[in-house]
Amino acid sequence: MPEFTILPPLSLYIHLPWCVKKCPYCDFNSHTYDSGLPEDEYINALISDLEYQLPTIWGRRIISIFIGGGTPSLFSAESIHKILSTVRSHLNCLPDMEVTMEANPGTVEQNKFNGFYQAGVNRLSIGVQSFDDKKLLALGRIHNADESYNAVAVARKAGFENINLDLMFGLPDQNLQQCLSDLQQAIDLFPQHISWYQLTIEPNTFFYNQPPVIPEDDDIWEMQQQGQQLLAGADYLQYEISAYAKNNQQCKHNLNYWQFGDYLALGAGAHGKISRADTGEINRYWQIRKPADYMQASVENKTSGRESIKTDQIIFEFMLNSLRLKQGFEIQTFEQNTGLNVSLISTRCEQAIAEGLLQRKGESYAPTERGYLFLNDLINLFS
Amino acid sequence: MQNIRNFSIIAHIDHGKSTLADRFIQTCGGLSEREMEAQVLDSMDLERERGITIKAQCVSLDYKANNGEIYQLNFIDTPGHVDFSYEVSRSLQACEGALLVVDASQGVEAQSVANCYTAIELGLEVMPILNKIDLPAAEPERVAQEIEEIIGIEATDACQVSAKSGIGIDELLERLVEEIPAPEGDPDAPLKALIVDSWFDSYVGVVTLVRIIDGSIRKGDKMQIMSTGRSFGVDFVGIFTPKREDMPVLECGQVGFIIAGIKEIDSVKVGDTITLQDNPADEVLEGFKEVQPRVFAGMFPVEADDFENFREALDKLTLNDSALQFEPESSTALGFGFRIGFLGMLHMEIVQERLEREYDLNLITTAPTVVYEVLKTDGNIIQIHNPSDLPEVNYIEEIREPIIQANILVPQEYVGNVISLCIEKRGVQTNMQYMGAQVALTYDMPMSEVVLDFFDRLKSVSRGYASFDYEFKYFQESKLTKVDILINSERVDALAVIVHADASQRRGREVADKMRELIPRQMFDIAIQAAIGRQIIARSTVKALRKNVTAKCYGGDVSRKKKLLEKQKKGKKRMKQFGRVEIPQEAFLAVLKVDS
Repeated sequence: MPEFTILPPLSLYIHLPWCVKKCPYCDFNSHTYDSGLPEDEYINALISDLEYQLPTIWGRRIISIFIGGGTPSLFSAESIHKILSTVRSHLNCLPDMEVTMEANPGTVEQNKFNGFYQAGVNRLSIGVQSFDDKKLLALGRIHNADESYNAVAVARKAGFENINLDLMFGLPDQNLQQCLSDLQQAIDLFPQHISWYQLTIEPNTFFYNQPPVIPEDDDIWEMQQQGQQLLAGADYLQYEISAYAKNNQQCKHNLNYWQFGDYLALGAGAHGKISRADTGEINRYWQIRKPADYMQASVENKTSGRESIKTDQIIFEFMLNSLRLKQGFEIQTFEQNTGLNVSLISTRCEQAIAEGLLQRKGESYAPTERGYLFLNDLINLFS
Repeated sequence: MQNIRNFSIIAHIDHGKSTLADRFIQTCGGLSEREMEAQVLDSMDLERERGITIKAQCVSLDYKANNGEIYQLNFIDTPGHVDFSYEVSRSLQACEGALLVVDASQGVEAQSVANCYTAIELGLEVMPILNKIDLPAAEPERVAQEIEEIIGIEATDACQVSAKSGIGIDELLERLVEEIPAPEGDPDAPLKALIVDSWFDSYVGVVTLVRIIDGSIRKGDKMQIMSTGRSFGVDFVGIFTPKREDMPVLECGQVGFIIAGIKEIDSVKVGDTITLQDNPADEVLEGFKEVQPRVFAGMFPVEADDFENFREALDKLTLNDSALQFEPESSTALGFGFRIGFLGMLHMEIVQERLEREYDLNLITTAPTVVYEVLKTDGNIIQIHNPSDLPEVNYIEEIREPIIQANILVPQEYVGNVISLCIEKRGVQTNMQYMGAQVALTYDMPMSEVVLDFFDRLKSVSRGYASFDYEFKYFQESKLTKVDILINSERVDALAVIVHADASQRRGREVADKMRELIPRQMFDIAIQAAIGRQIIARSTVKALRKNVTAKCYGGDVSRKKKLLEKQKKGKKRMKQFGRVEIPQEAFLAVLKVDS
C-alpha cells in the first residue's frame, strides 16, 4: 500500500465531447450532434460535477487545466468563460497556470478566439494533422490547409503566445517527401510545440474495419528518422515519444500525466486519478460516456466506474507513462507520485539495464536509445 | 431376446447420422422435447463443434411396432472419421445389423464403403437408407444404383427418409425390426460379455459398455475379467436411454453398461471378455486387434512449470482414449515434453484442443511425423518416432517408410485431378474401377505424404467430392533424408523433418521461406537456415523490427494503452523462447504449410 508524504501534483481535465464529424481514425469519446449543442445544459452539468467532486481534492492546488474533446472550440467563449471562472472561484490555482484548449482549424472565428483568450485559455492546441488537402480528405477532416494557416494567424491575433500544432505521419499513401513537407510547413509557422505522431489504426474506428493502405514499416522508419532530424535542426527537442518543444515550452498538463500526477476529471467519458493521503489509495474513475446520459445523471451518479489500483498496477502504470519521457524519471518523482519505495522496482530496473533498454543517470532512470525504440518491450518488463 | 435389435449406423460425416439418431430417440420417446438438445449423442463439446463423433456410445430405445410388440432397439453409435475406423469395427462387432445411411444428394463415400465391408465381413445385415430425400438435389435412383455397384448390396427398395423433417422414419423403424435379426446366444450358458467400450467417469469410476453374448449379469454379481482373472463386485448394470437407467439385470443379447467400482481403465480393456467368478465361461470371445498409432508429434508446455500438469492431463485423457500413446521426450529447443502417438491428424488436433481447452495448458506442437524403420549398419532395426532420433548417415543401412493403401472414391469429372495429386504424392496405382458415376482408385502411397496435406488437397482438387480411406500396408525402403533447421546458426531439434531425398532441396527452401513469414519480426535479425548434414541448402532472414512503441498515449485514460500492451503479451503466449528468439506455434508446423 502506498504511503504519501506529499501528494502528487494535481491537474484538471475537462472533456467537451462533440464534433461536427467523427474522423475515421479517432477512437476518443466524441459524438456528432444533429441540432444545436446543448451548451448551457452541459456546462451546468460540468459545474455540478465539479462541486460534487470538490471534497476529494479539498485544499489541493491545481497546476494546469486541459480542455479536450471532441472539438472544444465548437463551444462559445461565454461557455468556456463560465466553466473556467467557476473553477477559479472554487479551487486554489497556481498563478499563471497553463490552460490549454484544443481547437480544430475548421471551427475558427476571430471573435470566438478573442473570447477564449479573455476567458483565461492561454495555450491552444490546433489539430492541423497535415497541410496536404488530399491527405486531410483521406483522414476525414473537415478543414483544409488554408484554414490551418488562418487558424494560427487568428490565434496569434487573439493573443495566444503558446501554440501547439498536432501533426500526423504515416498517412494513407504518404511518401517521405510529403511527410517532410508537412513537417516543414508546421515548423515555418514557428509554434512553441509540435505533437508529431504516427497514425495508428485503433480498434473501434472506421479505419480498423476498412483499413487504408498505409506506408510500409521501413518507409515509416525513414520518415521518423528524417523528420526527427528536421525537428531537431529547427530546435524542436523531443521530450516524449510524440512531443517536441522549443525553448523548453513543454506541455505542463501532459507532463503531469506522464509523471504519474493526479488529475480531476470533468465531463462525459473523462478519466481521473486521485491519490489519497489518509488511506494511501490511488483511485481511478471515469465518468459516464454518453453526453446525454452524463447530463441527465444526478450529481452523485455521474461516475460510471472506479477502481483502486494495486501496487503492481501502480508500478506498471507509472512506467507506462514515465518511460515515454526521454529523460525518464527521477527516483524522487517515483517515490512521491506512487507513494512506493524505489526498492520495489530495482530488480526489474537492473534487468532492463542488463538488456540494454534502460540506463541509470545519477538519481534518474531513463530509456536508452534502444529502449526508447522498443519502449513496449521495456515497459512490459514491469508488467 | 426375440425383441432385441442391436444395430449401428454407418454414414459419412454430414450424411445425417446424428440427426437420424436424434429422430429415433424422439420417435421412441427416449427424451422429452425439452431434453432433446440437438444431437444428443455427440456429447463432447468438441464433437458437437466439429460435427463428428469421436467415441462410440449406445442408446437403448423401446419401440412399439405395428404388430403391437415392443422392441428394444440398441443403437450403438460409431465415429465417422477415417482416423477412428478401428472404433467402428468395435461397435459393429456388438451388432446384428447396420444401417448404411447415404446422402441421396451426394452418393457413396469411401469411408462408408470401408465400414460397410467390415460390417459384411462380420456377418451383419446391412440396410441401405437414402437420407435427405427432400432436398431438391436428391437423386435416390442414381444413389441406389451406386450403392449396388460400389458396395454390392441390394438397394432398389432402400428406405427413403429425411431425418431432418421426419419423412419415412416410421417405415424405417418397421423395416428395421423385420429385417435385422434378433441376437442369438444362450441365456443359460455362463456369462460372456464383450467389452465394446469403456470410459472414466469422475463420479462412478470406469463405466464399461458391454454386449451380452451368453448368460446374463446382475447387480451384486462378482464379475471377472477373463484375460487378467481380476474380479470386481458389480455395483450397477443398466442401459442409456440416452439417460443412464439402472436395471436389475442385463440379459442375453442386450447392450448396456456395467459399473463395478473400477479405478483404472486398463483393468477393462476394450475387446476383452467379462464372465462371472462363480460360474466362469471356458473360453474368451475373439477380441479386437489393438490399434497402433501412426502419427507422432512432440508436445511441449510453453511454461516449463506446466510439465507435471501436462503429464496428469495426458494420464486423464488416456483414460478415455486408449488409442493415445505417449512417452517423455526432451528437446534442447523446447525442453521437457511428450512424444505422443495419434491415429491420424484429426486425432492429433482433437487431443491438442482438449488439452488446451479442458486442462488449460499452453502447448507447442511440433510437426507430425510418421514412424520410420531404420536398418542400421550393425543389422539392428529401430523405429524412429522423431526425426531428431535419426542416426548419423554412416550408421544407416537403409530407411524404410510406411506405405498405406489409399482407397479413393471420386466422381468421374475429377478423376484426372486426383490421379495427378496421387502421382505428386509418390502414389503407385494398384487399381482403378469405374462404378456408375464414380471411380474407385486404389493407390499405394507413402504415409508421410498423407500426413502432410493430402486430405485437404484431395478435397480441393475434387471440389470436396472425393472421399478417402486408408490402411497401413507395409514398410518400404526409400531415399529419405533429414532436413535440419537452424535459427541463428543453432540447430533446433524440434524443427527437423524427414523428407524424400529428391524433394529435400526444394522442401528446405520452402520451409525456410515459410518460417520467415511465420516468425514475427523481433528486436534483432533472425537467420533461418535449412541444412542437410553440414551442408546449408537454404537461408532466409527475418529482418529486425525498427521499433515497437505506441505513438499516442491517451492522456488520462491508461486503460486503452494497457489493453494494447496486454494484447501484445498475449500474442507472445503461444511462443517458445529459443535463445533470444521467440518462435510461434505456427512456425513449428511450417513444414505442413508450404504450398507444394
